[in-house]
Amino acid sequence: MTKKTKKTPSADKRMLAVLLSREGRAIRRASWLSALSAVLWLPQAALVAAGFSQLLIGSGGVSITAAALGFLGFAIVRLALTTLSEGMLFHAGQSIVTQTRHDILQREAVSLGPSGVGGPGALAALVGEKLDALLPYLTRYAPAMMRVKAVPLIILALAFWQSWAVGVVFLVAGPVIPLFMALVGYAAKEASERQMKEIGSLGDLLVDRLAALSDIRLLGAAPRLIDQFETAADDLRGRTMSVLRIAFLSSTVLELFAALGVAMVAVWVGFSLLGELSWGSYGSPISPWGGIFLLLLAPEYFQPLRDISAAWHDKAAALAVAGELAEWEAQEADTMVGTGADAAPLPGPATLAWQGLVAQRGARRISYPDASIEPGAKIALTGPSGAGKTTLLRLLAGLERPASGTILVAGQPLSDASADPWRAHLGWMPQAPMFLARSLRHNVGFGADLTPALLKDAALTEVVAALPKGDLTLLGETGGGLSGGEARRVMLARAMAAQPDVILADEPTADLDRATADLVTEGLFNLADQGATLILATHDPALIARMDHVIEVTP
Amino acid sequence: MTRLWRIFKLMMAGERTALLRGLALATLVLIMGGALLGLSGWFIVAASAAGLAGVGAVFDVFRPSAMVRFLAIGRTATRYGERLLTHDATLRALTKLRVALLSGLAARSYDRLIRLRGAQALNRIVADVDALDGVPLRLFIPLIAGAVTQVLALIMLSWLVTPAVGITVFLIYVLGGAGALFWGITRARVPSRQAESAAQAFRTRFIDLVTGRQDLAVYGQLGLEKARVSDAEVRRQEAATRTDRIERQAGVVLMIVSALAATAALWIGGTLAETGDITPARAAIGFFTALALMETLAPLRRAIAEIGRMLGAARRVEEVMGTENTPVAGQAEKLSGPVALTFRDVSFAREARARPILEAFDLSVASGDWIALTGPSGVGKSTVLLLAAGAIAPSAGAVTLNDEPVQSGRVILAGQRAALIQGTVAENLRLAAPEAEDADLWAALEAACLKEVVTAKGGLEAMLGPRGAGLSGGEARRLVLARAILAEPDVLLLDEPTEGLDHATASKVLAGIRAALPDSAVLMAAHRAEEQGAADRIVALSPRKPAKSHG
Repeated sequence: MTKKTKKTPSADKRMLAVLLSREGRAIRRASWLSALSAVLWLPQAALVAAGFSQLLIGSGGVSITAAALGFLGFAIVRLALTTLSEGMLFHAGQSIVTQTRHDILQREAVSLGPSGVGGPGALAALVGEKLDALLPYLTRYAPAMMRVKAVPLIILALAFWQSWAVGVVFLVAGPVIPLFMALVGYAAKEASERQMKEIGSLGDLLVDRLAALSDIRLLGAAPRLIDQFETAADDLRGRTMSVLRIAFLSSTVLELFAALGVAMVAVWVGFSLLGELSWGSYGSPISPWGGIFLLLLAPEYFQPLRDISAAWHDKAAALAVAGELAEWEAQEADTMVGTGADAAPLPGPATLAWQGLVAQRGARRISYPDASIEPGAKIALTGPSGAGKTTLLRLLAGLERPASGTILVAGQPLSDASADPWRAHLGWMPQAPMFLARSLRHNVGFGADLTPALLKDAALTEVVAALPKGDLTLLGETGGGLSGGEARRVMLARAMAAQPDVILADEPTADLDRATADLVTEGLFNLADQGATLILATHDPALIARMDHVIEVTP
Repeated sequence: MTRLWRIFKLMMAGERTALLRGLALATLVLIMGGALLGLSGWFIVAASAAGLAGVGAVFDVFRPSAMVRFLAIGRTATRYGERLLTHDATLRALTKLRVALLSGLAARSYDRLIRLRGAQALNRIVADVDALDGVPLRLFIPLIAGAVTQVLALIMLSWLVTPAVGITVFLIYVLGGAGALFWGITRARVPSRQAESAAQAFRTRFIDLVTGRQDLAVYGQLGLEKARVSDAEVRRQEAATRTDRIERQAGVVLMIVSALAATAALWIGGTLAETGDITPARAAIGFFTALALMETLAPLRRAIAEIGRMLGAARRVEEVMGTENTPVAGQAEKLSGPVALTFRDVSFAREARARPILEAFDLSVASGDWIALTGPSGVGKSTVLLLAAGAIAPSAGAVTLNDEPVQSGRVILAGQRAALIQGTVAENLRLAAPEAEDADLWAALEAACLKEVVTAKGGLEAMLGPRGAGLSGGEARRLVLARAILAEPDVLLLDEPTEGLDHATASKVLAGIRAALPDSAVLMAAHRAEEQGAADRIVALSPRKPAKSHG
């Protein structure tokens, strides 16, 4: 079943780097634009300071009108840059996520058995909301890094130019922030991983139980299910909250540092301007322009550092997702033969033969007796439950790869190249009916209309007429809305609609009373009369009696 | 908006105190932010003016600077409290909503429930509820807190600076903000809804593809289905891109509104200071406060982007919550003494079906009775069982258990479709009997001839895949029977219980059930000789004629 792959400590980081590199250029450019926009706050602040300075001293500054217009002008330029950068980042993030979705889709479509991350529910959570959780990191971390490299350094230089005291405040308060973040980062990552796991298992818990909800209610187990779900949902809430708590706490601490830094600058500037303080600047006391300018710069000095700390949390969530992706990617899944796409049938008569065929079922090896089947033959596969009859049918359909031995289909070895054309000859009746979330009509004909003759041959005419929307009715996953026998007949109709040369049917008369079993049997033999080969796994003595050959599968 | 307000009130219902406190703190954060920047600006400019005038010595620096520190630290702490409160309350409300949705789904009529698809229901409970977290966090709380702050700023700026600045800033923010919000919402509504529904379609189709990939491969449909899944993702990306563009445009408008407000405050205040009507320090209050009020608009941007998604989710959630449902019955107490399940003159017709499936049907099953229903497929055997289980109601007549309406829980139906879930064997069994000991589980497994199989798979803790994957059809059937045995029902309803089992196993399983549940009344839809042989009495249903009881 699920193979546990050992996760190396850096698998998640490597995966994240791979993801980022897919749009590396766009992200770098957008980061530059975002840094440029942040830097342009400096002239904006200088203008405002100059305006107030003019008001206070009456000279040396710019008129208030010019200051106001300049302020607005720079605001618009910065806005344009930010918007452009955000747009580029959005596209880059979407493109990475969509591409990853596409990769997972391609692989999971041909995989067999459960994936490394769990069942369909967990997988859907990974492909859906978890990949979306990568977006904040993909779009925010790199620009925040770029701003952190550019903006604080420039502001630090400007601060030292005006006042060494303010410079020292910045110099001391600044590095505390990344240091603190590194400490918090570990806790955040662990919490995020737990949260992501919980999201996946909640999805799996639900998708499965929801599909069986009608039966669960008949058992009287619905309240228990709801209780279980409540506990699981509450656990997830707890996990989410603990991720948030770390994020909120760390951003509060940072805000506190930033606020203290700004307050210290404000107090120093205030006292200096009052003439109460004579130290901190170079010789002459600081000018009103310098004071106001520094005060306006102070919050912006801390802003990139706070952004990067927020991005740290995005990174923690992204690493948790990337770790799951790496795990998913590292897992070696068994795949079906071929791609499952539509193909023109293999030329020549649909003969079937196998030699030395062995299948691996967990620890057990199943060896099958050699056989050669001519078109039109009627073959029964018999043997006790669990002997490997279903596995043989799956091997013949190319849905599983043999451990050893060869299968010849229409004279050619069954391979990735020949599997899809071979399957174009097949009709398939699985033991457990599965219905797509589409109309009954589509589930039978895959787009083709259902002819009255087809419905009649499968004894479905009345069944379809009784459904609320006829052949446009949407059924439950396992055929909810139909009885077991009716669902089985829909599977028969689907096989008939494919006009197959070979029918592979797994227990076609199980779940059916004698009369309906006879109907299905007649349907199958009608196909055989038209020249189709029948290969049926069955326990049904009446059916076995009508077949030409019996292949005994022994465990 | 009315719909979102209704959902907001629904979410508030259980978390009223926490959300109201959160709202109060959110407002306080905005107010303190405005006060902090306004005071700082005033302090610097006033100090500067005092210094220049040579009256620095008498300027009171301590109270304003203490106030600045208090506001800075206080705002930080308040914001922390506000975030924790509102997020915790919202997440709690969402969890309650999820549970309520699941209960709503579970209480649907049987006819609708059997057609319920896991992936779609998952979309309701997970994606739709997730979409609603923005309703309090990013729409109503910021909106209310922002509006209160703006009104307060209007009063304070008019008083501290000059009414011209207060009114101008207020009008620019309120008109600009409301305009941008309305403009953005009108435009983003459709693409945002489309993005969400495409994301849900992607999820449904993806789950379908993974579940049905083998059937699809045999019929050469895998390529097409894959394309359909990709198509949903492409549509989602397109709609998301459109939404993002509108969100960014709205963001630009909101930023311009803020910049205009700050510029106006600077210009009006500055001009008045130039003419000497007010001091430069008072002009600074106007500018810096206007700058800080930017925070009241910032959250609206995300609200605009999410509005369509929230609206769609709210509509679907209301749909599930609002449907008239039958209450979910739990495990009832076992009835003391013998029981009798009685059908009196029962008819049943599905609306779509012109002919009734069952007409004037009479039957009585008492404790210890084993009755087999026979007849061709579609004759109504399963319908009789569903009526007996109380899953569907008769069109006429009555089905009673000891003269009372049938209560699910004491009557258990082991259906044709194996209702197994992902989890351990023990979890599957305990669905029917939560308190059962391991020994009881083994006894039930033994009665259903499944002891060896489960032992070979690793015992009670062996994991089953989705829908019980990992068991063969016959094994799954027997596990369902073992679970029914474990529930010790007063009435056991079996729908073709031994299908897929060989002759010897079938007989052993039936004998096992009988030995395990000697006092239960058993009604079984049967067509195999083994099943009919195990019954004390056979009731043959014949098609389209009123069924007659031959007993």
